[in-house]
Amino acid sequence: MMPPSTARRLCFLSLLLLLLLLAAAASATADAAAAEEFTEELLLRPLPDRKALAHFHFRSSAPPASAAGRHHHLFPKAISQLVQKFHISELELSFTQGRWNYEQWGGYDPMSTNNAKPPGVELWAIFDLPLAEIDATWKNLTHTLSGLFCASINFLESSTAFSAPRWGFKLNEGNLRYGALPREAVCTENLTPWLKLLPCRDKAGIASLLYRPSVYKGYYHSQKLKLKSSQSLGIILDQTLTVVLQPNTVSGKQLHSTGGQLQPSWSMEHLFSKKLSGKCLVSKSSRVFVEIEKGIVDNVDKAGSDVSSNNDLFVLSTAPDRSLKELDNLEVQSSSLYEYDVNNYNSDKPLNVGITWKLPLIWSCTRAPYHASRFLMGSGNERGSIAMSFLSTGLDKQLVDSSNDCSIKAVVFQVVPWYVKVYYHSLEVFIDGNSKAISEVVDKIHVTPSEDKLLPGTMEMLLKFPCSMQLATLTLDFDKGFLHIDEYPPDANQGFDIPSALVSFPEFNSSRSYPEADPLFVSPLLENFKEDGVVKSYTEVLLVPLTTPDFSMPYNVITFTCTVLALYFGSLLNALRRRIGEEERGLKKAGILNKRGLIPLLIAKLRGQKVDPSESESTSPASLPRSKLLLKVVFVAVVAIVFHYLSNS
Amino acid sequence: ARKMAEIAGDETPPLPSSSGAEESSLLSSPPSPTAISGDEPPPRTRKPGTKRLVLTASVLLSFLVGLPLLLKSTEIHRSPLPSDAIADLSRRLQSHPPSFPCGLHAVFLRSGPGSPVASLADQLERAISTQHHLLPASSTAGNISVSVTIQSGGGCTSSTAAASPWRCGLLTAADSVRDDEVFDELLHSALGGRDGDGMKVYTIVIAEDDDGKGTRVVIGKHRHAWVVGKVDEAEALSLIGNVFIKYFMNGGIEEGETGIGKGEFMPVGSDGNVVLSFSLLNADPNDWVYDWEFKNIGERILTPVVEALRPVADINIESQVLYHTPKSSYSYSDDKLGGNVLSMGDIPFFVNSNEWHLDTSISATGRSKVLQFVVYIPSARECPLYLQLPDGELSKTNAFISPMWGGVVIWNPPGCSVGSKKAHGTRRQMSSQELMETLEIFIGQLRQLFGLKPNYHAQGMDVATKFLVSEKGFAQWELDLLYRHHACSNLLSCVATLESLSSLVQSLPRMIVMDEIGRQVELSLEAASLAQRNATLGIGDSSAVSATRARALAEDAFFHPSIMSISYASVEHYFAIYME
Repeated sequence: MMPPSTARRLCFLSLLLLLLLLAAAASATADAAAAEEFTEELLLRPLPDRKALAHFHFRSSAPPASAAGRHHHLFPKAISQLVQKFHISELELSFTQGRWNYEQWGGYDPMSTNNAKPPGVELWAIFDLPLAEIDATWKNLTHTLSGLFCASINFLESSTAFSAPRWGFKLNEGNLRYGALPREAVCTENLTPWLKLLPCRDKAGIASLLYRPSVYKGYYHSQKLKLKSSQSLGIILDQTLTVVLQPNTVSGKQLHSTGGQLQPSWSMEHLFSKKLSGKCLVSKSSRVFVEIEKGIVDNVDKAGSDVSSNNDLFVLSTAPDRSLKELDNLEVQSSSLYEYDVNNYNSDKPLNVGITWKLPLIWSCTRAPYHASRFLMGSGNERGSIAMSFLSTGLDKQLVDSSNDCSIKAVVFQVVPWYVKVYYHSLEVFIDGNSKAISEVVDKIHVTPSEDKLLPGTMEMLLKFPCSMQLATLTLDFDKGFLHIDEYPPDANQGFDIPSALVSFPEFNSSRSYPEADPLFVSPLLENFKEDGVVKSYTEVLLVPLTTPDFSMPYNVITFTCTVLALYFGSLLNALRRRIGEEERGLKKAGILNKRGLIPLLIAKLRGQKVDPSESESTSPASLPRSKLLLKVVFVAVVAIVFHYLSNS
Repeated sequence: ARKMAEIAGDETPPLPSSSGAEESSLLSSPPSPTAISGDEPPPRTRKPGTKRLVLTASVLLSFLVGLPLLLKSTEIHRSPLPSDAIADLSRRLQSHPPSFPCGLHAVFLRSGPGSPVASLADQLERAISTQHHLLPASSTAGNISVSVTIQSGGGCTSSTAAASPWRCGLLTAADSVRDDEVFDELLHSALGGRDGDGMKVYTIVIAEDDDGKGTRVVIGKHRHAWVVGKVDEAEALSLIGNVFIKYFMNGGIEEGETGIGKGEFMPVGSDGNVVLSFSLLNADPNDWVYDWEFKNIGERILTPVVEALRPVADINIESQVLYHTPKSSYSYSDDKLGGNVLSMGDIPFFVNSNEWHLDTSISATGRSKVLQFVVYIPSARECPLYLQLPDGELSKTNAFISPMWGGVVIWNPPGCSVGSKKAHGTRRQMSSQELMETLEIFIGQLRQLFGLKPNYHAQGMDVATKFLVSEKGFAQWELDLLYRHHACSNLLSCVATLESLSSLVQSLPRMIVMDEIGRQVELSLEAASLAQRNATLGIGDSSAVSATRARALAEDAFFHPSIMSISYASVEHYFAIYME
């Protein structure tokens, strides 16, 4: 009886133990999955105009947890608290200096659609809040970000500075707010707080390459912070920095003696004056990519060589750990990526990836279907018009069959400050120089007209262009408004900036996919490349000169009115007090007046009417008024002193 | 009739009555004075009449009529501040600083049989009462009511003064041989088991026991202490006085020492909020990276502390781990001590504000206070790192505090010794045992920041004294002390703020005072008087809560955004504007 029962008990116990172990293992894996993570990546790409692009990408993620905002290991506490406090579900803040050159640097790749930003500061956020509370939260958020990033983001607080687009910027349910400050200058004081959010800051890892003089010497500099937060995923913080640099190569050494080399050969050291000596130790992965664009790949193919790290056209200075090929929808290889795992490098063996060209090469980047630009027309300080032009780049010829009724869609989103009073009814469309009816081209339009000192004007417009079109132009007339004297910024004569308009082409997608056999290879940078990549481009910032008042005007007015008042009171008193006729009679009688000095004469004139001519001769005429004058002066002085004393005490 | 004649006489000269016409005459008269002079009427001999005076006066009058309109249009809204009530409160606080009455209850446990004599209790009560002149002036304690209970085999006798909460017979002198922790709880239950709402009564039990081990004093976690041993009456009386005054009333702070009630500010934000920010600093992650499980362990250990301090401050806890955070002072290697040594003189430079991004917290908005508690993990090069006291000894806790800022603990990771190899970037976890030890040091630092002693040494006591440590970090009698001092200092600072606000408003007659400011001042005064009332009843915690509220409201009123934004214009400026 006993042995079987003990055996069974033992069996049961061991089963229980096994279950417990399994549970423990499961909880351990859950813990591991729920840990905060950090990854760092860098993408380098040669650009056709002898420049090089460097794109830094850092991702910190925090799991959804009750302790979010309070206990953190890697994730920046400040950001987590920001998300908690303002109920942010998405946020993007970018600081940009310089303009992305869509013609030369590409307009149809994930880099240009997601990381090319308008000059200055752009901020948008989606809130997880009832609609009525969003505006107040936005205002608080701008102040917090302003303090966090040492920038004047707080100027976006005023209701004249932000707008709520519904579909032109990003499809939403009215919980998105968008604001831009085109004139904000960006410099190291914005970069330092941004770096503070990284666990290793710029002390180690890829961020240590950010040598300030080389980064700020570049042609384009855009630092971005993107947040996504949800109950199921927790918080994902993507920090990117995109710079376009001129490689600092020493001429002569690098150039071929044959000359004619169009592209400079460069390496990390030339770009950043630094080599990469190891990763940030707490990062989960740390990678450097070199991207070779389709234009070069095609050339390599033409040369009959295999696209490897060492081919007929170029050679990479370090052999990559892995190479990835992007496949487009026709399964044709379009660009290739070479990956370096920074884990394999350290301070004794630093990583210094570079590219050396063997042959002169000309290639071009893929461009967006239309090149959008915006400019001002008209002159004078009263009115003008905004024009927006779309110049076909010829891309549609390759992609879309040019049958007659085919069309290409474009979405325009633009915010105009209230003092530029746009007449939306004056919208005119010209296609290849011919005026067209609005209904032929504009599919859908949503306009929020501006209100003086309250709301900016917002325009969202869905356009449909025929495929055969070469050039389309849209014009809008506007009147220039007047600002109150204290609403003018310093240096008002410089003019006022109208933020960039955003043009997107919803039918064109720039996302890239890199088929990869290894499921363990997870790269947030490439994940971002795969995501929503509707081709977008920002137009130029417009500079509108407004009538500026004469800023000394108030003081002129004060002096003018004071003069008029003084004249009025002076003459009134004079007229009331003086009897001209009698004075003259008195003067005549007292002929001796001519013998006196000027001052006694004046005094006598002032006091003249009362002084009897007969008496004035008998009494001493000069001494009495003098002593009275002295008394008056003393009296006024005493009154002034007493007043001064009383007002100060 | 004479007047009429005067007016009539006035009209005779060629002077028109209206000022406008007069002006025209003024303009017309100059050209030819000689031409008119021929047929001039004779010069007037009479004095000019009143008509001209009336005219001048009417012009003046119209200005005077306009003046109230001008004043009305330039009137500014000033909410009346109850400056009398503020002055009154300040006078009251100066003449009668808040004092908290409390009770001292002495219990004598006699082992002998027989019922004790009632007169003995009264006699002892008088004897104890005479000792209270020893109480230092700075103490916040007010009237002390003394009661005595004597328990012996036959029953209990109490002095007449107060109804004693002592449950007779629940505890005997023999129980005192038990473990101190157990006896503490027994005593707590014998005294009613409650921490009480009203006046605080401190109990000192004299348990007669001659086991020959000598006399010792134990101070418990609640509001009681006990003395075990063979003590005669005089000795017992002096012990009771000593324990009560030195510890229960003054927290063991000696004269001349800094601490609670000695002008030290409480590290509490003026809105009553405190954020405790705990940071783990890895000086050089290339050597080793440590992480901690703060979320579970830290919260578990610190929650009772937070709860205990709630009447004083609303405490939030945060934690983070930072990397690449070297210290900014130098340490030198000392072979004799087997490590690197940091002398006391270098401590002011230890905190590296350039590299330690400790950050303030978004939750610490406005005027709340952030206290930083930092665990510093030295790099392999400087490991192990010790703090050296001025007398050459090494610090036992390896930690230091900076008043109003927080505390730093240097934690040498296990297996770190001079010349220890770099563990090259291995990520490790601080064990829970080590984390708990570190947190205990932090609780000690927190006590110190709040003005209490980090731990007690039985200074000045003739007998062995032991202190039981509460899991809350603060014993009940220490909390009473904190509440009392907090209430006092907050009341004083509230009154100081209100006074400066009132004098500011009075000194600037053209300053706008919003209604909200007036309301905040009134609420603040209300809370302050409530705190005073509670203080006279001896209810320390609610007094502290009201005092905190009073101070927060006073600061809110003083730092109201509308005060900050007022573009104050002087009288001269004002006249200049309205001249325009």
